[in-house]
Amino acid sequence: MTEARPGEPGAAPRRQPGVGVRGLSVSYGDVVAVSGVDFQIEKGEVLGLLGPNGAGKSTIIDAITGLRAPSAGAIEICGVDLLRRPADAKRKIGLSMQTTGLPAAITPREALEAFARLYGVEARVGELEARFGLEAKSGARVATLSGGQKQRLALALAFVNDPELLVLDEPTAGLDPASRRELHGYIGGLKREGRAVLIATHDMDEAYRLCDRLIILHQGQIVAQGAPGALAARVGAAMRVEVHAGTPVQAEWLSAEPLFDHLVVDGFTVSFSTANLEAALARLMAVLSLQAVEVVSLRASRASLEDIIAELVQRPGLE
Amino acid sequence: MQALVSQTGLALRLAFRNPMGLLYGFLFPLIFLAAFWALYRYEEVPLALHMGELLTVTVLGGACFGLATTLVSERELGVWRRYRATPTPTWVFVTAILISRYLLIAAAALLQLLVAFVVGMPVPTDPAGLFVAFTFVTIAFLSVGLVIALLADNVPAVQALGQCIFLPMLMIGGVAVRLSALPDWALHVSAFLPGRYAVAAIQSCVTGGGLGDRGFDLFALLAIGLAGFIAGVTLFRWEPSGRRERRTNLIAAVAAVSGWVLVGLLAHAQGRIAAPVTVLEDVGSVSDYVAPRVATARPDTPSDVVASSASTVASEAAPHVAAPEQGISRPEPAPAVRPAPTSWREVTPADFDQVAFDRLPSDDGLVAPVARDGQEPDLAAVDQLERVRAALPSWPPGRVADPVQRVRNLLYVAAVPDLLQMGEIERFLPAIVLERLSAEFSRDELARILFWIATHPLEGEDSAIGQLETAGLPGVSGPTRAVRGRAMLYAFKLLGRLTGQLPARPDTPAPDAAAQP
Repeated sequence: MTEARPGEPGAAPRRQPGVGVRGLSVSYGDVVAVSGVDFQIEKGEVLGLLGPNGAGKSTIIDAITGLRAPSAGAIEICGVDLLRRPADAKRKIGLSMQTTGLPAAITPREALEAFARLYGVEARVGELEARFGLEAKSGARVATLSGGQKQRLALALAFVNDPELLVLDEPTAGLDPASRRELHGYIGGLKREGRAVLIATHDMDEAYRLCDRLIILHQGQIVAQGAPGALAARVGAAMRVEVHAGTPVQAEWLSAEPLFDHLVVDGFTVSFSTANLEAALARLMAVLSLQAVEVVSLRASRASLEDIIAELVQRPGLE
Repeated sequence: MQALVSQTGLALRLAFRNPMGLLYGFLFPLIFLAAFWALYRYEEVPLALHMGELLTVTVLGGACFGLATTLVSERELGVWRRYRATPTPTWVFVTAILISRYLLIAAAALLQLLVAFVVGMPVPTDPAGLFVAFTFVTIAFLSVGLVIALLADNVPAVQALGQCIFLPMLMIGGVAVRLSALPDWALHVSAFLPGRYAVAAIQSCVTGGGLGDRGFDLFALLAIGLAGFIAGVTLFRWEPSGRRERRTNLIAAVAAVSGWVLVGLLAHAQGRIAAPVTVLEDVGSVSDYVAPRVATARPDTPSDVVASSASTVASEAAPHVAAPEQGISRPEPAPAVRPAPTSWREVTPADFDQVAFDRLPSDDGLVAPVARDGQEPDLAAVDQLERVRAALPSWPPGRVADPVQRVRNLLYVAAVPDLLQMGEIERFLPAIVLERLSAEFSRDELARILFWIATHPLEGEDSAIGQLETAGLPGVSGPTRAVRGRAMLYAFKLLGRLTGQLPARPDTPAPDAAAQP
């Protein structure tokens, strides 16, 4: 019986260890960038690394892709010890960096051919160009590509060696909404193919949408990890609401309500956080209606990364 | 190996897509060449005499700036970081970029040489040695470029660091300013810089005796290159900036400079600091101007002289053309060659035919210039020329008994101002000397003596060079070989005037014959 290829109809998501990181620490001289980090990524799983600038996301990605030697810990890539057999481990990794990381004058075709030789594999130029929509730009210089085209090329390069682990560092940074949606579609495809995927991102919406599991980093340490929804619920401030009224609003109308966290009333504008959006909105509308205040606009959004991290840092031990 | 070939090819392709890189790497060396050529009034020999400097500047630019700029700009783009994430080892990337840069610099140097040949520069005396010297020079300077890339965080820093090395090398390193023109302290400094060894090794293969006695230069270049490569490869930077310990930079700099220090100390210990007796004054050898001729079938003809005892100005060796052995059993007499004349009295007019007057430096050039007929000197120079003219009949070296020495001494009167580049008077002195010589000798005698001196430039003594003050000219001291070279050229030129084989040129070009009624 032949096993279905990843991505083919009927291929069941595999649940095997893709990446195992134990006690990872990385230092730059006297500065500890990452300290005692442990996590695993299973094949067919998308893991998101979240955290503000300087939290240690890029350092962890550097360590996992062999770009930086850890000061302590162990990293295993699909059964291969990265520190002992770096070349073998790198053959299993596909990396898409924040920048394309290509000379300005190279063409997508040349880049795909060159990287295939660097990995010692057959160049599947036509296949990858077709898959990532680069056929029309095959002979164009990288400098002339749009941001979305460059990002697709970076992703195509990550597939040159048909990797078991995909590492995507800020894959949608700087992309327009259409390119971003397109890229999200590609990443969803990777998951269906049963590959292990590690994404570093600032974008909570992206993390919620793409990731099976999130790790939130702060000052080089994991402060929380879990499924996106569960994590937000545990933090308790999942949504942020902002209302613009037709007449001025008094703060005392709302301040006694426990549903409204971090309430701010500023003339015609009311904003607050809430863990129970439905109940909070119902109560808000009731209060405003009672005061004969007309609602001009209402916007509810997921709590920002900063909000969540602030919550997590203030409430340790959530994990 | 496949990755190495691929990366090398890719680096070359990308280099040829960079217009600024091409401009800097290929056009600038040609501009330098044209500038030297124009500066030396389009003379071929002086161009050859400066190829050491020209090629060194080409390598210096391509390696120190070209390599470092490419490496750092790619590193800023994240190219090297991306490469490092692949399983290909570091040495493949570093070797590929070095090979591609070597080929680019070699192409630029070859282009420079080809253009120099087109404008008439003679073929280098040791082409194979030139290739070896060029390779050693490129290795040394590529290592410098690698270290610059190691230390510089960005491209502007490459320019700043590169200039810190480039300019001292030009000014006090023997690359743009000759060592013989440098003060003593600068000579001591130059021994620590690779520039002087680069120029000496290359120049020796273009106009000198090849690499035979340039062992220390090659050793110096190799030591500097190895130290730089070891530092560059072991401490290679993949990251554009930051996150790098200052100590690492210090180690890299110390490791790279250790080669320079070692070479400098060795040069001092071995007494190699003084400026060499420069070969740059070499104007070629007698054999450059006397065409060897195969024997004719008329052995009894006096004109069947091949070449005289043609000693070179650059070398004491006096190559003789040996007469072929004659087999006694041959049915017909083999062609024979009349032995070269053993004194000026044996010189015949047939010998003059062997002189390639057309190979002599141009009369309008920097080397051995001769004024056109009717050309007037500047008023400021007239008095000095007249003083020389008046002094010559009683100038003691011009009255010695030996006729050959007498002519030789008088030739120095033209040769020294030429060597000193006395622009106002140098080109007018040959006519004054010829006037004096014509008063002393018959036309026939003078032609034979001039031929003899021209083909024996190292014979006789040269104390007259130090007595020129009494003839109204600056006296010179020190090595006299360069003066003898110029005297050789003037002997040929005056001979050409006497025999009519080098006609005098009117100051105003003759009107086109076709235009005349």
